[in-house]
Amino acid sequence: MAVNDLPIVGDSFKLGFRLQRYWDTPMASAFFFGELGAGLFFVSLLLESNRGMLAGLLITGLLKTYFHLSHMGVPQKSWRAILRPDRSWISRGLIGIVCFMGFGGLHLLEVWGLIPGFGGLLTLLAGAAALVVMTYQGFAMSHSTAISLWNSGLIPVSSLAYSATAGVMVLLAAAPESAQLMVPAALILHLCVAVILLSLLHAARHGSPGARKSVELLTRTLYAKWFFVLVCGAGVLLPVLLLWFAGSVPLATMIAATGTLAGYYTFRLLIFKAGVFEPIMSFRP
Amino acid sequence: MARYGMVFDLKRCIGCNACVIGCKQENSLPDGVFFTRTLSEEYGVYPAVNRVYIPTLCNHCEDAPCEKVCPSGATYTRPDGIVMVDPQKCIGCGSCAVACPYDQRSEMKAEAFKDGLFGTGELTDFEKQGYPRYTPGMVTKCDFCSGRVDAGLDPACVVTCPTDARIFGDLDDPNSKPSKLIRERGGKSPLPEKNTRPKVYYID
Repeated sequence: MAVNDLPIVGDSFKLGFRLQRYWDTPMASAFFFGELGAGLFFVSLLLESNRGMLAGLLITGLLKTYFHLSHMGVPQKSWRAILRPDRSWISRGLIGIVCFMGFGGLHLLEVWGLIPGFGGLLTLLAGAAALVVMTYQGFAMSHSTAISLWNSGLIPVSSLAYSATAGVMVLLAAAPESAQLMVPAALILHLCVAVILLSLLHAARHGSPGARKSVELLTRTLYAKWFFVLVCGAGVLLPVLLLWFAGSVPLATMIAATGTLAGYYTFRLLIFKAGVFEPIMSFRP
Repeated sequence: MARYGMVFDLKRCIGCNACVIGCKQENSLPDGVFFTRTLSEEYGVYPAVNRVYIPTLCNHCEDAPCEKVCPSGATYTRPDGIVMVDPQKCIGCGSCAVACPYDQRSEMKAEAFKDGLFGTGELTDFEKQGYPRYTPGMVTKCDFCSGRVDAGLDPACVVTCPTDARIFGDLDDPNSKPSKLIRERGGKSPLPEKNTRPKVYYID
């Protein structure tokens, strides 16, 4: 038996793979709503949808913050997370969120004519901050060498792609009149997500024992059902088919957007749950 | 300045877990929290079956990933190489826990401090004297019993070990017991491919 055959040992005193259990549903929800809100804002900024931008800001500002605080062990000291941007992606991300909420809010006030215009400067700053929020969580995960599945350059790319896809789909479902422009973009983004998912699994499948164990969890054992039905089926296949054959039908875009969001949330959750720590050493031949 | 580290002699460890109990007592750890564990591995096919015990604790890495990712500055390394967690600064985000390749971080769940070891909601005298050193909700770990080390004593797990399988000392001193053992018997680092440069070595 090789290291690969070692079992998942939970919290026992046996040697084996240990499931990551520190970042769970509240953190996955915070990541999901952060990227969804920032993605929606960014796409709305490009398409000049004020309602979309407001919704994006509210989703990030309220839901991401709520789930982050519910995850924290000592929420009353959460402000301290901003103190180490020199080394921590969490700190950098928090600064990004503050900038996103600040510049995004000011941009909206500018658009509504409540404050004087700054000649596009606020648009630029708000867009840049939204891009930071769309990607930093991926960097926070991929920075960790401890969990091999996460330690991949594809994780921040997946954050960006999923975030943009979710943003486009929500906007498409809310404003089907823009379908002519949005449907091709949504199709391309879904295909990007599919390629990223395959690449992520392929890289992990040929990676360290821990990464291989994660792929096994996602595609063959514990989480396979959820991964194939929700992440691949509802999250990619269903929206692609609906958009391809009935892209301008409001009900179809609504169902497609629901599928995309369900797949995206499940991906966020499963990528946390399938993260494993490797056995520190083994005496197996 | 010393650079503290530990050596585990796997030939000596008998898996009695006295170190685990010693650590829990010294550090007043709540239910379900362990700063050290003795893992067991069985291998081979009957009748040629073997079992080995592998003690684990925080490796006090030279290049500690938990310190690098800590957003609040709660995790820091002392000049003597002991990686510490400041309970006043920790926000309990868990980024150190997912960054540690050795899974050596422990969440000090707030409920554990309220329920007590017996789950009655009433704390024993032992818990009352020990819990104030932690902030409920923080994420912490082994600190090589830094208070004992500062007083010139060995960590609790080392003095509790009945077989001397745990050897603690200054890795910069070529005449210290751990330095000699590493030199003579070739100390192995856990997960060297993670590039964390642990200060805990295994000899077999």
